[in-house]
Amino acid sequence: MPTKPDLTVQFAGLTLQTPIVLLSGCVGFGKEYTRVEGFSNRDVGAVILKGTTIEPRMGNDPHRVYETPAGMLNAIGLQNPGARHVCGNILPGLPHDETQFWANVSGASLEDYAEVARIFDDSPVTAMEINISCPNVKAGGVHFGNDAAMSARVVAAMRKATDKPLITKLSPNNANIQEIAEACIEAGADGFSVINTLVGMAVDIDSRQPVLGNISGGLSGPAIKPVALWKVHQVRQVAAQYAIPILGQGGITSAKDAIEFAITGSDAIGLGTGLFYDPLLCTKVLDGLSDYLKQHNMASYAELVGSLKTG
Amino acid sequence: MPTGTSLPDPRNTLYVEDAGVIANVQHAGDQFILRLKAPKTAAHAMPGQFMHVQVSADRPMRRPISIMLTDADKGTVDMLVKAVGEGTRELRERKAGESLSIIGPIGRPFDLSDTSRRYVCIGGGVGIPPMIFAADRLAGQADVIVFAGSEVEFPFALRPSRFLLPGVGGNAILGITSLEERGIPSRLASNAGLYGCYEGHVPDLARDYLLALNEKERQRCILLSCGPHPMLHAVARLSRELGIPAQLSLEEYMACGLGGCAGCVVKTIEDGKEYHRRVCVDGPVFSAGILPEFA
Repeated sequence: MPTKPDLTVQFAGLTLQTPIVLLSGCVGFGKEYTRVEGFSNRDVGAVILKGTTIEPRMGNDPHRVYETPAGMLNAIGLQNPGARHVCGNILPGLPHDETQFWANVSGASLEDYAEVARIFDDSPVTAMEINISCPNVKAGGVHFGNDAAMSARVVAAMRKATDKPLITKLSPNNANIQEIAEACIEAGADGFSVINTLVGMAVDIDSRQPVLGNISGGLSGPAIKPVALWKVHQVRQVAAQYAIPILGQGGITSAKDAIEFAITGSDAIGLGTGLFYDPLLCTKVLDGLSDYLKQHNMASYAELVGSLKTG
Repeated sequence: MPTGTSLPDPRNTLYVEDAGVIANVQHAGDQFILRLKAPKTAAHAMPGQFMHVQVSADRPMRRPISIMLTDADKGTVDMLVKAVGEGTRELRERKAGESLSIIGPIGRPFDLSDTSRRYVCIGGGVGIPPMIFAADRLAGQADVIVFAGSEVEFPFALRPSRFLLPGVGGNAILGITSLEERGIPSRLASNAGLYGCYEGHVPDLARDYLLALNEKERQRCILLSCGPHPMLHAVARLSRELGIPAQLSLEEYMACGLGGCAGCVVKTIEDGKEYHRRVCVDGPVFSAGILPEFA
């Protein structure tokens, strides 16, 4: 009998108890899913908290979510109570002995990003994910993440503010994801989340209005999985040279999907929209991963990562 | 997150159940009543709560559907659905013997704790089920009366009501049989010329009743309501006009249904401050007074 495969993961200097990471914006501030019978934080390597800004934000007007073929659009608008409230009132109540909690940092300026990083630096979060897909208010609303130099500046600003691992969340909405990844590594990124949502919209033919209050929203779910796999593959070409890990994500709803992302080069597996299909997805993915590793005589998840054969 | 309304927050355990379809009975106007075997939800559900139903395994978003009635002994839950979009049309095709993944019971229920009150339940269309559930739980505990409105044939057995109601007369003679059997007075309203119904909107029927009560009796009332937005607006107006509190159950597109994604919010004003509250877990029941949309 083969022994149980090792599912622990080394990620940006952290040891994750499993490769599964619950993605920002899907699991609130870490408490909601623990109400579900059968859900355990111990099945999860890390939980990424909802996107947090320096000041509280109300978020967008409804509708904020809408189902699309094999996916969904969301435009929440970063509703959050502000970094100080999160650190002072929410983080102390989370079970840090059961799993790790990571912050997700958003900002309207470089100063915002740095300030939020300083606040989370003095908190129990073990890492910070950087949402670089935010509009830069000082540059006419262009997203930081659309430009390699601007992305790097965000990473550098946060790097100065904290020694905790910084995971940059890359957008698929650019042609130059490798260039952006390289610039972020040079600026001090310790890991990547690949990918953020694709921008899209939906139209109500009765009212002839956009369905979403924000007009546009982020497309997630199985519809984007092929895009996500390709972007992981592309980023891997760059990141592997620097031994920078990737948290692969985009439409994972089964163990098979997770295995595809692992083979393509995902050091960890992000679950988001998949949890909406099934809040108990974590155990199913872990069981399926273990079975697969055993069947293929692999001792650990790490052995599977990046094992893609391209001829 | 700051927590929301003044209504109780049960923070109850949520169960994921593979619920067997026991029956799916089709009714007029694309309505159907599903009876599911979901013992954990059946055992714990409170009126106003809902189930988040996976219509089919390849749909990313579940559909939030109100609980109409539970039988804890048999482990069953009933829900009334109207096929209006792709998801609910698919749900209509589910047959006895199949199963559906459900999460339940979710949300803040109606506050039914003050048994010295008279609960006046006003439901419209697929908003009727939570009224039936609330009335069922209140039967024998507190005074309760149900007013239900529909523009298509009611999906329930009806019979002439044996209860006389002040202010209610004319054509409005029918009540919902299952409620009548439990000693709960009910009356129906419709603009579709349905036999035995008050001709008009259901909040107007409720208003006739409330205005016929003496002031002391009226002030003992609490309005509970669920239904289309114009109906909820009318109930909120009634609440303000007569100085009677109202609890409204709201609906919104939902993704997670557990409070994780903040995709289903409604604006509230509490202590002069604006919030976006999650309809799934901060609601779906809200005090009408904190909802600016219904002010």
